Amino acid sequence: MTGIRNRFLIAVGAVMAMALTSCNGIMSGIYDEPEAEVASGFGFTSAPVGEVPGTIYVDASSYTDWVYLDFHTMRAQVVPIGEPEPESWDIALHRYDAKTNGALVAETGATGFSSPASLYDVSEDDFSADVWTEETIITDMSTMMDGYLSYEPSWYNPVLSKWLDVDKSTMPPIYTLSNHVYLLQLADGSQAAVRLDNYMDSASIKGYLTISYIYPWHK
Amino acid sequence: MKRFASIALTALTGLAASAQSSETMPADTTDYDIFAKELEQVVVTGTRTPKLLKNSPVLTRVISEDDLRKADATNIADLLQTELPGVEFSFSMNQQVSLNMQGFGGNSILFLVDGERLAGETLDNIDYNRLNLADAGKIEIVKGGASSLYGSNAVGGVINIISRDANAPWRVNLNAKVGAHAEQRYGLNASFAGKNVKSTTTFQWAHINSYNMKHAGDFSRFYGGHNYSLRERLSYQPIDRLSLTGRAGYYFRERNSAETSHDRYRDFSAGLKGVYDFNGGHNIEIGYTFDQYDKSSFQTITKSDVRNYSNVQHTVRAIANVALLTDYLLTLGADFSRDYLQSYQFENGGHKSQVTADGFAQLDFTPVKDFHLVAGGRFDFFSEASMKHITANLSMMYRLGRTSLRASYSGGFRAPTLKEMYMAFDMAGIFMIYGNPDLKAESSHNFQASAEYARGNWSAGLGGFCNLVDQRITTAWSQSLKGQVYTNIGRVNIAGLEANVAWRSSLGLGARASYIFTHEHVRHGEPYSASTRPHTATLRFDYSKKWKNYGFSVVLNGRILSAVNVDEFTSATSYEDTERVHYPAYTIWKLSLSQDIYKGISLTLAADNLFNYVPKYYYSNSPATTGITLSAGLSVDLEKLCK
Repeated sequence: MTGIRNRFLIAVGAVMAMALTSCNGIMSGIYDEPEAEVASGFGFTSAPVGEVPGTIYVDASSYTDWVYLDFHTMRAQVVPIGEPEPESWDIALHRYDAKTNGALVAETGATGFSSPASLYDVSEDDFSADVWTEETIITDMSTMMDGYLSYEPSWYNPVLSKWLDVDKSTMPPIYTLSNHVYLLQLADGSQAAVRLDNYMDSASIKGYLTISYIYPWHK
Repeated sequence: MKRFASIALTALTGLAASAQSSETMPADTTDYDIFAKELEQVVVTGTRTPKLLKNSPVLTRVISEDDLRKADATNIADLLQTELPGVEFSFSMNQQVSLNMQGFGGNSILFLVDGERLAGETLDNIDYNRLNLADAGKIEIVKGGASSLYGSNAVGGVINIISRDANAPWRVNLNAKVGAHAEQRYGLNASFAGKNVKSTTTFQWAHINSYNMKHAGDFSRFYGGHNYSLRERLSYQPIDRLSLTGRAGYYFRERNSAETSHDRYRDFSAGLKGVYDFNGGHNIEIGYTFDQYDKSSFQTITKSDVRNYSNVQHTVRAIANVALLTDYLLTLGADFSRDYLQSYQFENGGHKSQVTADGFAQLDFTPVKDFHLVAGGRFDFFSEASMKHITANLSMMYRLGRTSLRASYSGGFRAPTLKEMYMAFDMAGIFMIYGNPDLKAESSHNFQASAEYARGNWSAGLGGFCNLVDQRITTAWSQSLKGQVYTNIGRVNIAGLEANVAWRSSLGLGARASYIFTHEHVRHGEPYSASTRPHTATLRFDYSKKWKNYGFSVVLNGRILSAVNVDEFTSATSYEDTERVHYPAYTIWKLSLSQDIYKGISLTLAADNLFNYVPKYYYSNSPATTGITLSAGLSVDLEKLCK
């Protein structure tokens, strides 16, 4: 019975040690820290190298801001809705809504930048320009409690905005990434390719967009 | 030795039934007095001391191991809904499971495992998946307030899951179950009992796929996932009078709530307990428990796993039973706890903690023959709200031949939780939910009366209950804060009637029916906002037959829930206009066939939702069923196979 007694003493010691050292818990070591990605910052966090896409990380969680992206200068700029647009920009993001600066957008069959080249083939007819919308860009969710939503009339690209489907027919909404690569025919004639990889930060807070991109796109 | 102490100690050794039956059973008891014999079992939840069910003034419903087997339940929700009328598990926001038991929500029913409370909650409900039935020996349910013994949260009742004791020299059970939607469950239960040491090890792994509902509704898809748990309980008796028990457990659950992120839940619990028996029937129990429940968000793309919630509870407890005069047992106890909560629902994901302390006393006595009384009181203190609360209970039982008459008053209370006091949560940009440090405690006064009769192969019971709940804590819209704020509302009165009847023949046939009528009183002119279904019933028909090398059991379980009409506010910011919502009645039946096909090997085949009920619209309180489903289970007792 010495073995049993020893096992018990060990168990007692372990539990007592746990009690004395673990007032606020013991399992913190098994989790990731959310601060890690914040340290890498927002905006164009890495540039494309050849066929390896770069990354854009955007805080688009605000309902009252547009985040303007300029592929030429790799610059991201947050501008409150209603204020003048920047002088130079290519696409802008508001939550999961996207608009372009006079670009055309087509959805390819590629579901990643390593997809076969044939999946990037699109015809001229596949490209779509922005459309004017009165009831898409939600600026105030809080009025939902009074039975309506507040919108900002704006340009909006319905093809690029397909990168994330938000099904609001049930609560909570169901979010589904298209995972497709979108080709952008920019106003200056150059092309960019983008893919929405994620719409949450590492703590699963929605409205934080991780975008893979290649600019200029030559395929 | 005093008689009372003798009962308690005998019960502790599991011999109470045989030791007491000849003394207390009526002279004309026969072999067919099946239900009278069931009253000989020992219960602990109503008084926190082992007590024969037939002598317990506190009405206790026991779900026995036999009931567990016949219910063939996959989880605690399935089991309680099969066994008890008046119990409904439904979905709240984000498909989190929510309990309604006779008008009381999940935060008013205290769930215990071997007498220990559980850390963590989601939308006011504990993680019911933690309650592993594979290790359960029985479940005791005490309805009505029980705060004079168990403190906060026992406003509406206590459900205590009691693990199976290791009595056989060794036992190894392997079990598996497969069902619809790729449901799989595999389990191992191993135990051994030596001269002064016992060990029980339990492991279970379960999985189910996500699946879509057949029609539109408040939810359109059931979130699948997987979970596993491992528990070890080790008991050691160094000397006859002293027993020590150590336990540890780990639980993990992953819920596939979205394509790109899964919800993860983890719990680690441990405890040590020592019980010393003195001469004269006195004993003392001292214990320490640790329970940590975490939630995290796992991203399937980046594989990051970030914790957003952690509840850590440390509790030290002492309970002493003092046998006074003949038939007088005094129970004295005290608890000291520290409660730590870090939550994404606090400002900047912050944390809060508090200590709670309590002391309680209970006198259990039999002043005259066949008349049993239990009276008790408890004082609770909560540091964060500087809150002190006193509750009391008085229960009495009189045995009149084969009839047990019971009446009780019990107080209940629920202190505001750290979440309810300090929440500051942005609800997707739609509104804020704020805590309220000035909340008062919920309190309840609960009255029950019942009569139970058992003779031969019949038993019947009839009872009534009335619960007066004051200062119930809920959220209400604050125009000044432009958000929901936790607040106390006025009195809620819930009353009802309960009836049950059971019959079992010596040939193996059995039937049981239970019914509850529940009514929440609403003042004249006010909207009826209670969602409790007024009429619910459970039924069971079974037939068992056993030969030397083969046996089978056919069980048909059914539950019937009436419709309920609820006046729901049309706006969350104003309480002026309501619309009446009709939640339809439904019934669900399950047919199972269990066969003991070889030494220790049993096979169970079941058809759930036998009559193929499919909701036309999936309300949050509709069952998440797509129609009839089939399942098969296999259980192997290795120790029987090896004989």
